[in-house]
Amino acid sequence: MKYSYINPRKKTIFTRDIQLLFTFFIVTLLMLFSAYSFLVFRDNRFTQEMTDIKLQKDEYRTNIPKMENQIAAIEKQVLLSEKIFTKNIVLRDSINNLFDLVPNRITLSEAKIMENALILYGITPNKDVYNFMLQAPLRSIFHRTYSSFYPADNGWLRFVSTNYIDNEEELSNED
Amino acid sequence: MKINLSRQTIYLFALCIFLLIFVLAFSFAVLIPKGKEYRIKKSELKKENLELKQLSDFSIEKEVTLQKLQNDNVHIITAFETEFSADRFEKQHKSFFSSLSVSKKSKLEDEDGFSVYEVNTTSKISSPKSFYGFLDAINKSDWMIAVNFPINFKREGEMISSTFTMRVYNNAKESNSSK
Repeated sequence: MKYSYINPRKKTIFTRDIQLLFTFFIVTLLMLFSAYSFLVFRDNRFTQEMTDIKLQKDEYRTNIPKMENQIAAIEKQVLLSEKIFTKNIVLRDSINNLFDLVPNRITLSEAKIMENALILYGITPNKDVYNFMLQAPLRSIFHRTYSSFYPADNGWLRFVSTNYIDNEEELSNED
Repeated sequence: MKINLSRQTIYLFALCIFLLIFVLAFSFAVLIPKGKEYRIKKSELKKENLELKQLSDFSIEKEVTLQKLQNDNVHIITAFETEFSADRFEKQHKSFFSSLSVSKKSKLEDEDGFSVYEVNTTSKISSPKSFYGFLDAINKSDWMIAVNFPINFKREGEMISSTFTMRVYNNAKESNSSK
């Protein structure tokens, strides 16, 4: 027996209001969890990146002093090599100048070149040639010059010329 | 006045309150601290990245300097590393002399952190010009050599006999001390 002309609507707990409410809360919660997941993910990435950066920094901190040591060593080598090359060139020029200093009329038989001294052995036609042509320029270079002569077989004179450059310390002590 | 609330409304209201409290609690207790932590870490990472870049730039600068020095001074670096060989020296430089003999090297005291060896040389030359050529060539040789005093020149007929010492410089190595 029917008391109404319409069919009864179905009763449900999820009314339109509740559906709206749940949608709101679900969306809110979803946003919250998404934000949290994003933060956790980024946090992990940061931690990983920090570890990588730390490793790279450690590597740089090890390599930089090594390179600095290598640079210092090479600079030291270059400095010493320049000193050595200059010394060799100066030596070449000094020997060249020494032999240029000896006039044609005087013949050298031996030359001993030391750091602060020069000993020359040779033969000269006479004392005047030696004094004017060899001793004079030697005197201008060296602080002390000593010469000794003895006769040679052919009537010329053999000479020994000993020349010294005094160290600056010695000179200042003498003063 | 009596408020008539159905049981369903009360449940709904309670659920709303619970969800609201959860949202607030989650936000304040978890999300906001995590956000702050994220911000701090982000600024720290930025700082670390900046430091890393500075270190990287400095390292590149040093590397460029080192490469330049190594390329510009290949001969010098190699010369300091090469062990002196009397035979090779004689072969390389005998063209300057009529005869050349090099004695065995003797170790001297280290100089500025470099091992120093002394080598005595006896030679015969036809003219001093050969000796000048030798002094020029020695700066381009395979070793770091300084010709040292005393240098003696003695006339022997048409030839000049010369004796001099040379100092060979090497990178200081512990193993060299016994040589």
